[in-house]
Amino acid sequence: MGVKVRLRKSYYEAEDSKRRRDRAKGRAKTGAKIEAKKAFMLDVSFEMENELVVLFGPSGSGKTTLFKCISGITDPDCGNITVNNKVYYNKNNKINLPIQKRNLGYVFQNYTLFPHMDVRKNIECGLKNWNKESREERVMEMLSLLHIEELEKRYPSQLSGGQKQRVALARALAPRPELLLLDEPFSALDKGIKTEFIEKIKSLQNKLKIPLLFITHSLEEAFMLADRVLVMHGGKIQQFGTLDEISYHPENRHVAELTGLSNLFDDARVVGYDEISKSTLLMSGDLKIRINSLELNPGNLVSWGIHPEDITFLLPGSEDQDKNIYQAYVSSVINKGPKKKITVKLIRHYKTLIAEVPAQFVESLRLSAGDSCLIKMEMSKVVVF
Amino acid sequence: MIPMLDQIWFPLSITLWIATMSSLLVLCSGVVIAYIFARRDFRGKKLAELLVTLPLVLPPTVIGYLLVILVGKNGFIGHLIFNVLGTGIMFTRQAAVIAAYTVSLPLMVRTAQAAIEAVDKELEYAAYILGRSEIETALLITLPLAKRGILAGLVLSFARAVGEFGATLMLAGNIPGKTNTMSISIYSAFQAGNNELAQVLVLILVLMSLLFIALTGKIANREKFEV
Repeated sequence: MGVKVRLRKSYYEAEDSKRRRDRAKGRAKTGAKIEAKKAFMLDVSFEMENELVVLFGPSGSGKTTLFKCISGITDPDCGNITVNNKVYYNKNNKINLPIQKRNLGYVFQNYTLFPHMDVRKNIECGLKNWNKESREERVMEMLSLLHIEELEKRYPSQLSGGQKQRVALARALAPRPELLLLDEPFSALDKGIKTEFIEKIKSLQNKLKIPLLFITHSLEEAFMLADRVLVMHGGKIQQFGTLDEISYHPENRHVAELTGLSNLFDDARVVGYDEISKSTLLMSGDLKIRINSLELNPGNLVSWGIHPEDITFLLPGSEDQDKNIYQAYVSSVINKGPKKKITVKLIRHYKTLIAEVPAQFVESLRLSAGDSCLIKMEMSKVVVF
Repeated sequence: MIPMLDQIWFPLSITLWIATMSSLLVLCSGVVIAYIFARRDFRGKKLAELLVTLPLVLPPTVIGYLLVILVGKNGFIGHLIFNVLGTGIMFTRQAAVIAAYTVSLPLMVRTAQAAIEAVDKELEYAAYILGRSEIETALLITLPLAKRGILAGLVLSFARAVGEFGATLMLAGNIPGKTNTMSISIYSAFQAGNNELAQVLVLILVLMSLLFIALTGKIANREKFEV
């Protein structure tokens, strides 16, 4: 059971006719096939169970292309796609199930409701071979599942963004799909409705027990939704893991940056493991950092970083580098909703860090630009990769 | 000289009959051709598009001449028709339908093709994913959404068929009581110095054209949903 995907698909740069002719000529001359210039390559492989997986990555990382391959809108160059033991695509066995037979639900980014059909007809569209009675029953079931009974006779142009979203979800779920694909369904929604929907989708997934893939480029959405996150960048899967894994054990710089690790330094060297404090010592320039990680060989160069919300401020006192406590001064304080973003410079270490702390905390400490302060990086929160 | 009612009635009825027949054919074939042009890629597509559009720019007499070669007694299609029906179709109202069809088809194909191309492909994919075949999707989603363009194409084709002169004259001739359409009757009445008849016929055609324009405007404003 579950979903198995392993595929590759290349996109080539658009060629002008002259280049194409040259390429054809070149082939005629040497007999070798000259490839067109590759513009982008999607190369992914992953497996998932009946769980909610968030596909997270910047725009242009191939998330939607992956969805198009899974749903059959485009064909991959090679590989295989299997959903619940049903082979959707297998290059070697020349299997390519037509879109219509794939039995999945797909909610497009702009909902793609049929503008000339009312909500009922939109939902009925997927119930092709159902008899009249069961079809009507199913539509009512879907309408009540998403609490949109009153919209039955409305046309898409008469619906708000949130309502369209519900209808699109109802339409996708009506034919009992084996897999649900959601392509940035929240990009056009207000924040309040967004939170409500995230709850809805989570509970739906619990109820339906089908694999659900959810595209987003918003870190916040990914954190609110995911069981596991598939981080994509440049057409490749950078990491597939739980929230904790991707934020505290990123496999590379792309993942670290995408998970909001804005304090990132590449200049650390492993000094060695200390039995007494049960920690590994890093030197980043002349800054001593102690971390919990064990599997690091002395002398190795590593990158380290810390999430802005993991930097804590202490009452004024003295620096203690063995406990990751440093003297710093505040260079700026910026409002960021209920939080404040504080930029601090470490005295004597020429390093700038960005911290995010609750606003009331800043007020109680009376931090403002120019003040000196004491910051601490919890050993277990320092990220090393 | 007061025109006889029959001198007006026959050209009017034959013209409307020809235009209706031709428009029905144009509707059935033109929408299919437009859909294929808009949604499919095949070898020789550019050539096919060119062939369909050609009558739009060719002089009507040239079209007429080419059609005579094709459907005349010695032509390929003409020979086939003769074998099946036992009679040729040159100088009949059917020939006039063929002439009208040929010149008005490109109007339909071009307008409908543009309208179909404007339909969001993702809507079609959404229907495929919901299990609908390509034909079902075309009938349920694409064509209804391109309806405005198709209707506009239909009105244009009908108007073009009503006004057809050159090719019809060459293919169907000007046989009184048989193939004398409005446009042809105006010409022969004018030639014969029967100005009163010519004027009445002209007036009728002008009124009909105004009606078409009004109709087109109405179609454009009739949508109850916004896309």
